[in-house]
Amino acid sequence: MKSLRQIRFLLDKDLRIELRKKESLVSMAFFGALILVMLNISSGIGRQVDAETGAGILWVAIIFSSVLGLGRVFSREKENGCVAALLISPVTPGEIFVAKTLVNFTLMLLSELVLVPVFYVLFGAQLSFSLLTLLPVLLLVNLGFSTTGTLISAISAGTRRNEVLLPILLFPLILPLTALAVKATAATMAAKPFAELLPQLEPMFAFCVIFSAVGYLLFPFTIRED
Amino acid sequence: MSNGSAFLSISGLRKSYGAQEALCGVDLDLQRGEFLCLFGPNGAGKSTLLKIIATLLRPDAGQVKVCDYDLEEHPEQYRAHLGMVSHQSFVYQDLTVLENLEFYAALYGVEQPRERALELLDQVNLADRYDMLAANLSRGMQQRLSIARALINDPELLLLDEPYTGLDEYAASVLRDQLQLLHDRKRTIIMVTHNLRRGMESATKLGILARGELVYLEQKAAIDPTSFEDLYFRHLEMA
Repeated sequence: MKSLRQIRFLLDKDLRIELRKKESLVSMAFFGALILVMLNISSGIGRQVDAETGAGILWVAIIFSSVLGLGRVFSREKENGCVAALLISPVTPGEIFVAKTLVNFTLMLLSELVLVPVFYVLFGAQLSFSLLTLLPVLLLVNLGFSTTGTLISAISAGTRRNEVLLPILLFPLILPLTALAVKATAATMAAKPFAELLPQLEPMFAFCVIFSAVGYLLFPFTIRED
Repeated sequence: MSNGSAFLSISGLRKSYGAQEALCGVDLDLQRGEFLCLFGPNGAGKSTLLKIIATLLRPDAGQVKVCDYDLEEHPEQYRAHLGMVSHQSFVYQDLTVLENLEFYAALYGVEQPRERALELLDQVNLADRYDMLAANLSRGMQQRLSIARALINDPELLLLDEPYTGLDEYAASVLRDQLQLLHDRKRTIIMVTHNLRRGMESATKLGILARGELVYLEQKAAIDPTSFEDLYFRHLEMA
């Protein structure tokens, strides 16, 4: 119970700052939408794409834009040494990890509320849309990306080239998750039944469990100075 | 050197950064209510020592105990009674003054966090700026907020790392008054500073850390200020 309370305080604080400044959210949604527009123009305006290409385009926009939010979550803690203040408080590193993962998860979900409609406006004339089948894919990718991204952003935040190191370390790790997400999303866009998504959703779920555990266990070593 | 009844007991503390030895076997005992001021040249290991006591760094060897709690074995219980003021303010720029204090009060499980935050803001004379974003405060005001933040959990042990850096005279007097209040309430304080005057006016015990060793430690009452200054400057010259 105490842990849940601490996580809630940390989450409240980050979301309050984010809703006040809207730095991460606006840049994520705007950058993601910009990627979609550029890909739409480069593939020929009004040209229809098949389900697999469409799924790839959607996830490129979501993943690239989400990296912007990840970088910000930890750089804010580094300002004025706030991360040290957290580490000398009764909060455990594990609680910080869970709270930061939830912040990243929420930011991704909010930016997807913009990016998915923009995608369907630009590319979706002949693609099927089913919230029931798309939602589990979005949630699993968000969770896997947030846990992995939180761990990697904590590592890269301690370096001078944070913004370069973060995607270089993160993208290879989330490649399996992204590949599975593209396949599952393509099935959704091709109006396949939910049962046909399970061969992708199960390993995606396993990815989330493994990286949540790894992130939780390794996180204390990434935010301490020694 | 270690005494079982000491409030803070440090024994055989060692820490290296690569080949550079920052602390080479520091032993230190402090009784409850003592106020130690540590002086020393740059790179002597003062901040490293404070960071280890604050659990921000792990020592390579040695032990730190507070109230017989080993900080490696019971870090959360230990940290609940710890406060720290550094030259960094530890405040969130995008939260208001009051939100910053309420957030830290919540983390420490302070009962009635808003009342405690307002009480401290009053003590550091920031009550009329409670709804300002921390980013809009001057450096001195941010440091006063930082002092209030460090006191939010009414710490048993307060660590101060160069707390007078960048403070104007008013903010410095606020800090001195708060330290005096804490000292009167038998709180244990360790302060690291280069400011001899500020350090000597508040502390009950003075120490010099040089080349990672505690080369001098004495009750202030037993010290001749002039000879202590001479000794300190000799160590500065040798560094």
